[in-house]
Amino acid sequence: MRVAVVGKGGAGKSVIAGTLARLLARRGRRVLALDSDLMPGLAYSLGADPPAMPPLLDAAEKGEDGRWRLKKGIGPVRAVRRYATPAPDGVLLLQLGKPAADGLPPIMGSLNAFYKVVHRIRGADAFRDWDIVADLPAGPRQTAFDWAPYADVFLVVVEPMWKSALTARRVARIARAQGRAMVLPVANKVTGGADSQRVEEMLGEPLFASLPADEAVAEADRLGVPLIDRAPSSPAARAIEAMLEALGREQTPAR
Amino acid sequence: MKIAVAGKGGSGKTTVSGTLARALARSGHSVLALDADANPMLGISLGVGPEETDRLLAVRQGVDAGETPHEPTTEGMVEAFGTRAPDGIRLVVASRIDSVAPGCQ
Repeated sequence: MRVAVVGKGGAGKSVIAGTLARLLARRGRRVLALDSDLMPGLAYSLGADPPAMPPLLDAAEKGEDGRWRLKKGIGPVRAVRRYATPAPDGVLLLQLGKPAADGLPPIMGSLNAFYKVVHRIRGADAFRDWDIVADLPAGPRQTAFDWAPYADVFLVVVEPMWKSALTARRVARIARAQGRAMVLPVANKVTGGADSQRVEEMLGEPLFASLPADEAVAEADRLGVPLIDRAPSSPAARAIEAMLEALGREQTPAR
Repeated sequence: MKIAVAGKGGSGKTTVSGTLARALARSGHSVLALDADANPMLGISLGVGPEETDRLLAVRQGVDAGETPHEPTTEGMVEAFGTRAPDGIRLVVASRIDSVAPGCQ
């Protein structure tokens, strides 16, 4: 499966993406995890090293026409082989990386390279049998600008609060307008059935899954370690696993 | 004073901004609250209301649509595209990403 996890900041996207990626890898799948956030967090939720510099910094060059392009010989396969970071259970993590104190201009190359690589991954034979789990930055921007063209599922993560629900509505609307992927709303940090119902009312549609509020998630985040290592049998970890089962069932008839 | 609030998603930028703005307004300042997030939610923390916040016209989209007459000055744009929030605050939403946006970014 090819999943892009989207939603408002703090909704729990990275924990969900990291846990899904690790669970898929443990089932024997080859998993590529993608973090296209300029304020990256997926490495911590996966248990990988955050890179010192944006890994794809030297993967692109500016042509004579002033446009960025991938350097000769760098396609999606080589980009992943050369620039991805190994994570536990055999997951490979390709990260956009973050700007230094001098801001965005010095890393425009890696931004462009990452965008081009994910677009080439979409149709690449070499990745046909891979699962992809992507952690997109907060808000609608990258969904609107087609940063997850490979996705066949958008998981829209929403907390039981208005700011989160309005963001989820917007991101879901944009993803559906693209018409390429299933768009599934997932409530997170839910403290009971009434919470789930409130989220459904705010969204105006039924939830695909509800994940519980769980102190184990906050604890793993405080420590900067994966939930699946810190508390594998916590309610949240079990709920993410159950959601993965449901995702598998959702996808089987379509294939 | 002019304050910019920055930080990671979910860390509480909007709540801090909204509360600062309300506190300043209540102590007698004229306050312009500027929502520069492309996913603008400041209206909620200011007390404009969730659904109303979702419908606020953003300057960028308002200018592009060309349906709102305004003076081509900062003051004119705040006047034309701003919203009244509690305690006399003027809220202006800079831009909102609300649809598929092909091409450059």
